[in-house]
Amino acid sequence: MSTREPDNQSGLLQGTLDLLILQTVALGPVHGHAIARSIESRSREVLQVGHGSLYPALQRLIKDGLIAAEDGTSENNRKARFYRLTKKGHRRLFAETSRWHRLSEAIGRVLTPLAEESK
Amino acid sequence: MIWWKKRGERLKDEIEAHIDIETQENIEAGMRPEEARHAAMKKFGNVVLARERSREIWGWLWGERLWQDIRYALRGLRRNPGFATVALLSLMLGIGASVALFSVVYGILIAPYPYAKPNEIWAPAVLGPNDPLRGWHRYTRREFLEIQKLPAFSNAMATEVHQVLMTGDTSTESFYGVFLTGGAFNFIGVKPLLGRTIQPYDIRAGGKPNPVVVLTYGLWRRQFNGDAHALGETLILDGVPHTVIGVMPSRFGWWTNEAFWLPMPMDLSDETPINAIMRLSPGIKKEVAEQQLNELNMHLAQVNPREFPKGQLHTVLLNYMDITQAGGPMKSSLNLLLAAVGLLLLIACVNVANLQLARMTSRSREIAMRMAIGAGRGRLVRQLLTESALLSVVGGALGVLFSFAVVQAIVVLIPSDNVPNEARITINGYVLLFSLAISMLTGIVFGLVPALRSSHPDLADALKDGGSGAGGSIRGQATRSGLVVVEIALSVILLTGASLAIRSFIDLLRTDPGFQPEKTLTMRLALQPDRYPTLEQRNAFDRAVLENIANLPGVQAAAIGNGGMPYSGWESSYTLEGQPRFDGRKVVLSLISSDYLRTLGIPLKRGRTFTSAEVENGMHLALINESAARLWPAGTDPTNRRMQVDALGQPLRSPVLLAPGIGPEVTIIGVIGDTKNDGLRDATLPAVYLPYTFVAPPDRQLAVRTFGEPLGILNAVRQKIHEMDKGLALGRPMTIDEMLGHETEQPRFNMAIFSGFAALGLTLAAIGIYCVISYNVTQRVHEIGVRMALGASRDDILKWVLRAALRVAAIGLFIGLCGSVALEKLVQFNVFGAANFDAVSSAAIIIVLFSVALLAGWLPARRAGKLDPVTSLRHEA
Repeated sequence: MSTREPDNQSGLLQGTLDLLILQTVALGPVHGHAIARSIESRSREVLQVGHGSLYPALQRLIKDGLIAAEDGTSENNRKARFYRLTKKGHRRLFAETSRWHRLSEAIGRVLTPLAEESK
Repeated sequence: MIWWKKRGERLKDEIEAHIDIETQENIEAGMRPEEARHAAMKKFGNVVLARERSREIWGWLWGERLWQDIRYALRGLRRNPGFATVALLSLMLGIGASVALFSVVYGILIAPYPYAKPNEIWAPAVLGPNDPLRGWHRYTRREFLEIQKLPAFSNAMATEVHQVLMTGDTSTESFYGVFLTGGAFNFIGVKPLLGRTIQPYDIRAGGKPNPVVVLTYGLWRRQFNGDAHALGETLILDGVPHTVIGVMPSRFGWWTNEAFWLPMPMDLSDETPINAIMRLSPGIKKEVAEQQLNELNMHLAQVNPREFPKGQLHTVLLNYMDITQAGGPMKSSLNLLLAAVGLLLLIACVNVANLQLARMTSRSREIAMRMAIGAGRGRLVRQLLTESALLSVVGGALGVLFSFAVVQAIVVLIPSDNVPNEARITINGYVLLFSLAISMLTGIVFGLVPALRSSHPDLADALKDGGSGAGGSIRGQATRSGLVVVEIALSVILLTGASLAIRSFIDLLRTDPGFQPEKTLTMRLALQPDRYPTLEQRNAFDRAVLENIANLPGVQAAAIGNGGMPYSGWESSYTLEGQPRFDGRKVVLSLISSDYLRTLGIPLKRGRTFTSAEVENGMHLALINESAARLWPAGTDPTNRRMQVDALGQPLRSPVLLAPGIGPEVTIIGVIGDTKNDGLRDATLPAVYLPYTFVAPPDRQLAVRTFGEPLGILNAVRQKIHEMDKGLALGRPMTIDEMLGHETEQPRFNMAIFSGFAALGLTLAAIGIYCVISYNVTQRVHEIGVRMALGASRDDILKWVLRAALRVAAIGLFIGLCGSVALEKLVQFNVFGAANFDAVSSAAIIIVLFSVALLAGWLPARRAGKLDPVTSLRHEA
C-alpha cells in the first residue's frame, strides 16, 4: 500500500471529515466542490478541507452505502456527480452527531478546569 | 476489468470538474485564467494520489497493481532478453534436475514399497565373534515356528524361492515361484487386485498346502490377457493342478514380478533354509527383540550347529528397507546424486541471485528516480518482488517440464537389478509441491535481498552516480565475483564426481574377466524332475543335448557349466592334502563338461583338462583356478595332489541327485586361468571344477560358443532341444556379453548421470562467468575509454578483461579442488569403486574449467576490445 502519510493539512480528526460530509450531503444533492465549499464556509473558514482527500472519503462513504451518487449538472453548467444521503446514511449521521456532541461536551468538561487553573 | 476502469474514468472526470469549478470561481474572484487554474490545482493537491487512494477504497487496486507490475515486469524482461533467457535457463536446469532427482529418490529410496509400514520390517542376522555383517540369517521351517512364538515379535513370515515348472498345452515354462507362509500376505498388508490372497488356512494341518496360486499382475496379463475370469482357472505347476485364487496389483512384486506366489509346504523335516522377517510387538524395543532372538539362536545352534557360526553368537535385526534393493548399492549413489543435485540447485540459485544483483545495480538509477517522484518503498519492493516471482514461476514451470525429460532419461539408464520390483519412478505430487516451493523460495529470497538493498539507496548518490560511472560499485562487484567463485567451486566438485565415475567405469570396462565373453550364449535347461527321476537319465539326456548342439552348424563348442558360468557357484569348505585345515575358508564349486574351457575361452595354465570319458564316468578328478592353486604354499605344484571338498560328501536336497559312490576326495589334474566369479570388481575366489556327472540337478546351465552372432543360432538350438523333449523348458537365453553388461550397468549409470550433472553445473557456471564479466565490461565502458585514450591497445583491453575472468575461475578452481579433496576424504566416493582422485583427473578438470572460463570471458572481452574510445568516454550519462 502507499506509504505516504494521509494528508491531514485540514487538521481534521480522523473520521470527522466523514461526519461533516454526511451533514453537508443531508441538506440535499450536492457535488464534490460544493461539499468542500460548504464545509469551509459553514465553519467560517476554520476547517479547510483538503480537496484531494475529499474524493477518497466520498468513495469510502459510497462503498459503505451511506451516500449515493448520480450524474447531474452544476450551477455553472458543468457535468458533475451529485451526492445525497441514503437511509442508512441518515441513521449513521444521527448516531454520529449525538456521539460527537457527547464527546465534545466531555472533552470540554475535561478541558475547562485546566483552562481556569492556568489563568 | 471494464467496469472498474469505468469507475476510474468517472472519478477522473469528477475531479476535473471539481478543478474547473474552482478555477471558474477564482476567475470570478478576479484572477487571470492560468493563475486561476494553477491555484485550483494547488488547492486540490496531488490529483494522481487522490485518484489512486479513491480507487484503493474499492479494493481493486491490488489486482490492478499486480497486473501493472506483471506487465511492467514482462516488458522489462522483453527489453532485456539476455537476462531473461539466462535466468530462466538457470532456473529451468536447476529446478528440473532437482525435481527429477527427487522423484527418482522418492520412488526408489523413500517410498519404494507398497507394503504396510515397510520401515518396521526386520530381518535377522547372526554373527560369530569376529564375523563382519554379511547378509541375513536363514532358518529352517522348524526354527521359523520357534521364532514366531517369541513374544518380542507381533508377526513373522517367511519366503522361499525355487524353480517351478508350468506345463501348458504346448510348452513348458520355468518360473521362480515364491513360496510364502500362511500369514505372509497379511504381514505385507497389500490387498489383491482380484480374488483373495493366501491365508493361514491354505496350509493345512500337517503342513500340506492347498493347491492354490496367486498371480503377479504381469503373469495375469500374459497368461489370461488381464481377464477377471482367470479366478478359478487352473495352472499345472510341477505337475499339480493349482487353482488361481487371486491377482495382485501391478505395483506389488514380493520377490517376483513375473511369476506367482504359492503357500509354502511346512514339512518340518525339510532343512532347506527359508528367509524369515518379523515385525516387533508394540512397545518392544529392537534391542529387546535382538536379545530374545539371540537366546533362541544359541539354543537352536546347540540343536543344529551346522547353520550357525561357531562361538558366542550375536544377533542383529536389520531394517528391511536398508538391506533390500532400496538400500543396496543404488542407495549410496542416489544419496551422492542428491547431494550433487543440491549443488546444482545451489549453482542455479547463485546464478539467479547474481543476475538479480547485477540487474538491480544497473537499475539503481531507475529505482532512485522512482523513489524521488514518490514511489513508496513497500510499493517498490513489491514491484521488484513481482518481477522475480514471475521469473521464478515461469522458471519453475519450465523446470517441471524439463524434469519430465530428465526422469525419462534416468528411467532408461537406471540399472533395473538395483531397483525394487515395486518402485515406480514418476514425477509425483509431493515432488511437484517440492519444486514449486523451491522455485517460489528462490524467487522470493533472491528477489527480496536485492530489492531490499536497492530500495533504500542514497538517492542523491545513486542519481549522481549514473548507475554506471567510472567508480562502479566496488562492493557489488565483489559480491558478484564471490558468487561466481562459489559457483565455479561447486562445479569443480561436480566435475570431480563425474571424473571419478568416468574413470571407474573405464577401469571396469578394461577389467579382464579371464574368459572370452563374445559370441557365447548361455541358457538354462530345465528338465521336469518327475520325468527324469534318475541321475543316469538326466546325465544321458544332457550329454545327448551337448552332442547334438555341438554338431549344429555355426557352433564352435558347447558345454555344461553348472555354477561355472560367471558369477555363480556353490560354496564348500575344503582340506588340502598334507596341509593344515582352516575353518571357515571356502572354495567355489563348479560342475562342468569336458569342453568347458574351449567354450568359454579360459586358458589352461598347467596340467591338463578333463577328457569326455573322465567326465562321463564321473572320475574323482578336478581342475582348479589359479587363485585356488595359491592356497598351497608358494612353489608347490598342485597338480596330482589331492584335496577334500566337503560339500561332495553331504546329502543334497531333492530334486538334486548325487551320483552314488561320490566321495569328497578329488585329485587335481590341471590349473586354469582365473575368471571373475564374484563380480567384475572383486577378487577372484578360489574355485574347483568337477565333472558335471557328479551331481544331477533338474536344471543345468548350457553355454554355446558360436562362429557368428550368438543369437543367430538360438532358433536352431531351440528346435533341436524341442525335438528331443517337447516338455523341456528353456530359460531366457542370454549372451555372456549381456551378463557382463548387467555388471557395468551401475557404473554406467553413475557415469552418465554424474557427467550429465557436471555438464549442467559447468553450463550454469559458464553462464555465471559470462554474466559477471559482461556486466563488468558494461559498467566500465568509461574506464575502458580512459585507458584506451591513455594508450592501451585493444589487445591490452582484451587481456585485461580476460584476466579478470581467469582470476575468478582460478580462485573458484582452487576452492573447488580443496573442497573435492576434503569431500573425498569425507565420503570416500566409495560408490565409484576403486578409482581415486588423482593428477590426471585434476588436470582434466583444470583444463575443462579454464576453457569454459576463457570462452565465457571471451565474448564480453572482445566486445570491450572493439569499443571506440570516443563513444565510450561519452558513455557516461
